[in-house]
Order: sequence, then C-alpha cells, then structure tokens
Amino acid sequence: MRILFINNDGGGFADHIEVANGTTVQDLFDQQVRSGKSHNYLIRVNRMPVPPNQVLQDGDRVSITPTKIEGAS
Amino acid sequence: MNDATIAERRRTKHRRWLRHSNPYQNPRPHQPTLRFSPTAWAKLLFLRDLGPTEVGGFGISAADDCLRIEDVQLVRQSCTCVTVHFDDAAVADFFDSQVDQGLPPSRFGRVWIHTHPGSSATPSLRDEETFACSFGSVDWAVMFIVAQEGQTYARLRFNVGPGGSLAIPVAVDFSRDFTASDHAAWKAEYERCVMTPEPRPPAIFDGWPADTLPRTNEFLDEEWADFFGWPDDERELAYRHEEFNPSEPFAEVVHV
Repeated sequence: MRILFINNDGGGFADHIEVANGTTVQDLFDQQVRSGKSHNYLIRVNRMPVPPNQVLQDGDRVSITPTKIEGAS
Repeated sequence: MNDATIAERRRTKHRRWLRHSNPYQNPRPHQPTLRFSPTAWAKLLFLRDLGPTEVGGFGISAADDCLRIEDVQLVRQSCTCVTVHFDDAAVADFFDSQVDQGLPPSRFGRVWIHTHPGSSATPSLRDEETFACSFGSVDWAVMFIVAQEGQTYARLRFNVGPGGSLAIPVAVDFSRDFTASDHAAWKAEYERCVMTPEPRPPAIFDGWPADTLPRTNEFLDEEWADFFGWPDDERELAYRHEEFNPSEPFAEVVHV
C-alpha cells in the first residue's frame, strides 16, 4: 500500500512510499528514522497523534517531526 | 623586478590576508554564510521587537541556496522574557502546511531561529540541548540567535561524513529582488502564534475557590508573605517553568 510520509530526519523527506500491509507506526519509525528514539518525535497519522501499534492504512499521511524545541537565554 | 620589490609585495599580500582573515568582518565568497533577504531580516527584527518576550521560528531557505533565508515563519509557542517553547503539535502543523505548499523539509525545518533579550546572543545550555536533541538527526541544521541589542550568533552543524559544526557569519543579502514589508500580516502572525501564559498561583493555593485566588503577580506581594508568615530570609520567590499547556499557565512560585 501507499502512504504519504513526511520525515525531517536525515536529508528530509516528503513523498509517497510503499509499505507492506500490516505495517504499524512503530514499524515505520524503526525502518525510516536513523536515531531510533521515538520519544524525541511527534508521530502523527492524518494529522492526529497515534499510538505506536496503530496499523497504517492505504493513503495515510504520516509525519514524524521534532519535539521539545525550546530556547532560553 | 628586484628582491626588494618582491619582498615588499609579499609583505603587502600578508597584511592584506591578515586584514581579511576575520570571517565575521569579511566573509569570503566560499565561506558558508547565513544570509537573510532584506524582507526576512526586517520581519525577524519586527517580530523580535513587537513584544516583551523572546520569540522563535523557522527560517525558510531559498530553493537554490539552503543558507539564504527568504522568510521567517513562526509556529505557536509559549514565551516569556527569557524562554521560548514551541508547541509540538504546532511544529507538526507547520511541517504539514509547508509540505502542502510543495517545500521539502530541507527548506523549512533546518534553520532554527530565536531571539534573546539583552545583548548576548550566545546560546544557553537549553539552546544547546535543543540543537542537539531536536536537530541532531538531520543532515545539517543551523541555530541562529539574534539578541535584542542586535548581536547575532549562527552555528552550522552537519551530521554527514565526519560531522562537525562551525560558527558562521550572518549577513543581509541585497543581491536579489525582495518584497516589501507587511507589518500588518507580521503582527497578525505574531498574535496568532506567540502566547505568554499567565503565572499560576503556587501549590499552596490548591483547592481555593477561584474567586478567592490572588490575581497575577499578587502572590508575589510581600503582604502574602506576611500572611503566610514566611521568614525574611525565605522570601525570595522564583518562577519555575513546567511543561507547556496552553490551557494551563505554567509558572508557579517556589521558595528558594
């Protein structure tokens, strides 16, 4: 099946990719994100936060974006 | 050409090299330089000066030059006079909206910009932690800070090959066409994104009816210290910042 995947990791990526049926959000994260520390990211499917075991569906829009962006002086 | 002339030319060349060896004063063409379009620079300074707090955002890079910033975009954030905290969901919304406009993440998610009060643009420990954790897994990223009094700091870090980081000069690039300022739109963006949560009463007020709680900053008053019988040497109050929640202001008073 085909999903839209938005990933800021590495060189950055925003395009459609093919994933196997039954792939979960955690599976996709493990495959695509090099650092592998999911607590440093907000993972959303169709613009909504989801649990790691959610199974992806054809046409889903998955984004993995950084969190805890904060500055101080 | 005699030896004296050759020696003089060498000395002149050396003096010229020394004069141009400070990258902050004389960025060389081959040196990475963070360049802002005049419009982006004007917007950043406008946003910095619009309120009493720090403010932050992402730089939008040019299609053909990742270190040329053509726009500065805010995301929803919680700010105080010394901190800025992006809302995680707002960052994700920002990524979605930029992708919908056809931009790759390398053009909008690499240059992290925020302001500092006062004169120091030197990154704090928290700035460094954010740069390491939130931008540590991308191929390259820039942390840019502009202080209230105009000082700037930019550091480029790359995570490919051997990896490394270097401070880079900052410039305003007038070499291309640029658009006019739009203060009304910039102000609207600021008001939409920048939130300054009210301090929350300290935990000692838990359970008090809302209409009996002291209003903002009233609990800092000496009278309240008298009311609770705090000794003089324990009356120094400080704010402690907690997890940001827009519906729940996050500061509380603690004894020091």
